[in-house]
Amino acid sequence: MTPIIRVTNLRKYFRVSLRAKGLVGTVRGLFTGDYRLVRAVDGISFEVQPGELVGYLGPNGAGKSTTLKMLTGLLVPTSGELHVNGRVPWRERKAYVAHIGAVFGNRSTLWWDLPVVDSLELLQYIYRVPPAAFRRNLDEFRELLELDAFLDTPVRSLSLGQRMRADLCAALLHNPDLVFLDEPTIGLDVVAKERIRQFILHVNREHGTTVLLTTHDLSDVEKLCERVMIIDHGQLLYDGTLSGLRERFGGKRELVVDFAEDYADVSVDGVEVAGREGPRVVYRFGREDMSASQLISALSERFRIEDLSVREPDIEDTVRRIYEERLLE
Amino acid sequence: MLYRLDLYRRLIGVQMRSQLQYRTAFLLDTLTTASQVVTAFLTLALILQRFDNVGGWKLPEVAFLYGMVEMAFGSMDMLFSGFDPDNFSLQVQRGLLDQLMLRPVDITLQVLGSEFIVRRIGRIAQGAAVFALGLALLPIQWTPLKLVYLPVVFASLVCFFGGLFIIGATITFWTVESIEAVNIFTYGGTEMMAYPMSIYPDWMRRFFTYIVPAIFLNYYPALYILGKPDPLGLPAFAPFLAPVAGFSVLLVAALFWQFGLRHYQSTGT
Ligand SMILES: Nc1ncnc2c1ncn2[C@@H]1O[C@H](COP(=O)(O)OP(=O)(O)OP(=O)(O)O)[C@@H](O)[C@H]1O
Ligand SMILES: [Mg+2]
Repeated sequence: MTPIIRVTNLRKYFRVSLRAKGLVGTVRGLFTGDYRLVRAVDGISFEVQPGELVGYLGPNGAGKSTTLKMLTGLLVPTSGELHVNGRVPWRERKAYVAHIGAVFGNRSTLWWDLPVVDSLELLQYIYRVPPAAFRRNLDEFRELLELDAFLDTPVRSLSLGQRMRADLCAALLHNPDLVFLDEPTIGLDVVAKERIRQFILHVNREHGTTVLLTTHDLSDVEKLCERVMIIDHGQLLYDGTLSGLRERFGGKRELVVDFAEDYADVSVDGVEVAGREGPRVVYRFGREDMSASQLISALSERFRIEDLSVREPDIEDTVRRIYEERLLE
Repeated sequence: MLYRLDLYRRLIGVQMRSQLQYRTAFLLDTLTTASQVVTAFLTLALILQRFDNVGGWKLPEVAFLYGMVEMAFGSMDMLFSGFDPDNFSLQVQRGLLDQLMLRPVDITLQVLGSEFIVRRIGRIAQGAAVFALGLALLPIQWTPLKLVYLPVVFASLVCFFGGLFIIGATITFWTVESIEAVNIFTYGGTEMMAYPMSIYPDWMRRFFTYIVPAIFLNYYPALYILGKPDPLGLPAFAPFLAPVAGFSVLLVAALFWQFGLRHYQSTGT
């Protein structure tokens, strides 16, 4: 299959002037070389196949939004190659954006003073969506996103969650081949997040839309993405499955055992006893040390077990450790 | 082309509808703008009464010039509201351009359609009133050529002011914030053009002849239509340069604007 996104050695450097703003500062800035170079994206390469749903993660300032702006044609790369949906986004902007959708979570693409439905109709005209397809999509999205309650409300009076739902609907009305979502769940409550996740999943599954999304909420990733990319300081640190990430950097797992009696000595060679509370004991063990089943059979040879459960380290911890300890370098 | 016109019509229609929703605010705004123009002109009329004329121009003649420039600026301000530098720089900081660039239609057309301030009609109406006053009091010798040329001058003025707005808006790509210098340029320029150019010092007049060709858009066409002699001694075709001057300013502005957009795409600010 030909990839729908092909990024090769992509870079974006910003020159940030150290001068004051305003006319004098700007003019002076043009002549003096007083600037700082920010390497927002610094040599990233990856491919995405049609129909994939990919999470693009990284700490604040990692370069996620900058990458997305290049992928959507808003920014021209400093160097490197960029082919998306058969086009070079910034070079063929109009033809390119007709077949993509994008939501930048902190901004709305809708008309501020217009009722949502009027905005959507204007977009129908702009994207030249045939009336039948428009009706079909609108009916479908209305139900999934529960838009009916506020279709006639002006965008400026919508709550954050409502606005995000309206924006998602707007980004997908023209059946784009792929969508870019920059923090689509930012600032939303649990229920709203869940609804948006369901929607993204639906669009990806039913319409085959390729999705690339950034987020700081790892439950988004856990629920949606098979594949994740992690970047920091403009460089790609990890590109693979979520479970692969867990396996490589997952840290230790925990086995919680309820013994039938209060045994005096419950220690096992090579395994740490992380906690003990009467007959309940928590063992902590690394993947390299032994498998869960090995540990369980070792225990059941010596003791009578009432109940047990295995706790996987959560992904949030994993990613935090990767960011903080820079494990991937 | 038809599609673009229709799209423009729709974008503007949206703006109008939302502005007319607040009818009282709209009426008040319109009245305020209008009364400001009248006050300005009355002040001038008082001064003229004491001195009888301004640089050899009598009150009705100044009314003719003033009214024409005001009408043209008002119309431009309505059509080109999207490029109004103050508003534009604010909108850009709010991400307007990113939003427009994500849509598969022309950016310039969308900026034009992004704002349409209907209440400017007040300024146009007052300009028209002052202009009509001038016409009524003046014994103009109308010829067919003058009748045809007047709307041409008007359109050229609109293009010229539009060009100034576009240049002002483009500058804010670099300065980020809108700057007073740009306003002095646009609003100050209009103010100045509403009076006979013969009253300004030489260096200033030269600037507005050879650098920014404003003099061919107001002063010279007015001399021609009012049948006044040219005290500055430019060639006899000078009054007919209005469309050339208006169009070239707009063209330069459009090129600068395209350059600004490319700059935006590479810096994101
Ligand atoms: N237009 C710009 N001009 C100058 N520097 C910029 C510009 N846009 C982004 N940067 C810088 O580039 C770096 C990457 O920013 P970017 O917005 O891509 O990060 P991000 O991963 O999206 O972060 P966050 O999670 O906070 O949204 C930051 O250091 C930022 O300050
Ligand atoms: Mg970001």
